Amino acid sequence: MDKMMFLLSEGVKNLWRHKLTAFTAIFSSFLTLVVAGSLLVVSQNTNKVIEYLRDKYKIEVFFKDGVAEERIVELVKEFKNINGVRSTTLITKLDAERIFKSQFGENILDLVGYNPLPASCVVNVARRQASKLNVNPIINRIKSYPEVDEVSYQGRLISRIESYYQKFVQGMTTILILVLVISVFIISNTVRLTIYAKKDLIQALQLIGATKSFVKAPFIIEGVFHGLFGALFASAFIIGGLEFGSGIIYSVTRLRVQYDPFILIGILSSTGVLISYLGSSRAISRFLK
Amino acid sequence: MNLSIGDNEYAFLIGPTGSGKTTLLRLIYMDLMPQVGNVVVDQYDSKKIKPRKIPYLRRKIGMVFQNYHLLNDRNLFENIALPLHVIGYTRDEIADRVIESLEEVGLEGKSEHYPEELSGGEQQRACVARALVKDPDIILADEPTGNLDPVTSFELIKLLEEINREGTAILMASHNYNLIKGRGHRIVEIQNGSLRQS
Repeated sequence: MDKMMFLLSEGVKNLWRHKLTAFTAIFSSFLTLVVAGSLLVVSQNTNKVIEYLRDKYKIEVFFKDGVAEERIVELVKEFKNINGVRSTTLITKLDAERIFKSQFGENILDLVGYNPLPASCVVNVARRQASKLNVNPIINRIKSYPEVDEVSYQGRLISRIESYYQKFVQGMTTILILVLVISVFIISNTVRLTIYAKKDLIQALQLIGATKSFVKAPFIIEGVFHGLFGALFASAFIIGGLEFGSGIIYSVTRLRVQYDPFILIGILSSTGVLISYLGSSRAISRFLK
Repeated sequence: MNLSIGDNEYAFLIGPTGSGKTTLLRLIYMDLMPQVGNVVVDQYDSKKIKPRKIPYLRRKIGMVFQNYHLLNDRNLFENIALPLHVIGYTRDEIADRVIESLEEVGLEGKSEHYPEELSGGEQQRACVARALVKDPDIILADEPTGNLDPVTSFELIKLLEEINREGTAILMASHNYNLIKGRGHRIVEIQNGSLRQS
């Protein structure tokens, strides 16, 4: 326990002893985490937009004349079980007649003497899906039923929106990974400065019988603190920016920026700690090799 | 070359600069590994030892260097306590042992001082205290008097003799024969890659 306390206090003291290095490391993790946090908020809100758009996707399925109503009810239930389908709404011939009357103000029976409107069903697709939503398997599955006469959907629009969304997700992921990897290297090189400044201590520790993990621990603890401070500053910066900017964004786009500050702080802190841990352990391990 | 240092022995290792005194000491604390032959310290054999076990061997050896190797960013107490933190002593044990070691080398009352505030002789005694604090089986002193004036050098040798009388083996390397002759201890001379013992 005393040993742990010693290592912890060494890590904390190192922060104070190497103010410039600490500042540089904290600043680099701050910059990285501001980028990562901003991407997170942007992707969270883009998700909301895509969910809204997916809510508007509608697949209309028209049944052939003469299919029994019980069978149609059965089919609609089956459609609901197709992967990627959120909900289904049955529109019977009678419902269609009512809709016609409410839309055009006239009774179709009076106009043509019988009800030519087919029974149909509206299929709503799932909103929450991390990657590109492909409606084709749903369409093909529905079309495979002999009772189905026609399937109508906004195919080109959906695939265009989904394709843009997929590119956006891929781009964001690439940028995020790149930023995190670069920051691990920056932090690693910054911590190396501390290590060189403390090579007398490392040498002394090795001579008096310190194990590798004992030598490494204070530097890793110091690195973890760099990440944690970087994350806290980055969270404050992003949350401050969002609080300040959300009014402006709303007035221009009518979109409310949504984010959970606690989740944001949690994600940034764990990311900051992780990249600093990786950076500092890489630096000290290379030095001790 | 064969050399054996017994328990409680005090031996001097002499030889001109570049003769290999430091190399021999580094072989003992396994900072260097022999290409042929082997070094045995207690149960640790250089032929069999795994790298991760070397720190445990070094905990049995106290080391004193010519240029002290004290850490300037911490005071004497913290410098001397460092080996005990490494071994895992409790805070109370560390305090007791450090005070005892400082008293033993005559530096009581200087625990709050930083190395730069001490004379060369005091710094070297602090190094001895740091070597002594973990109660080692042997102290290896590599030219510990190299930066000291003759009187302080003499005092340091006397201090090491006192420590030896209490049961710690000492192997001290020096190139100053005049300082060590006639003290009744074994003198091992290293020259041209071979040892001559008296």
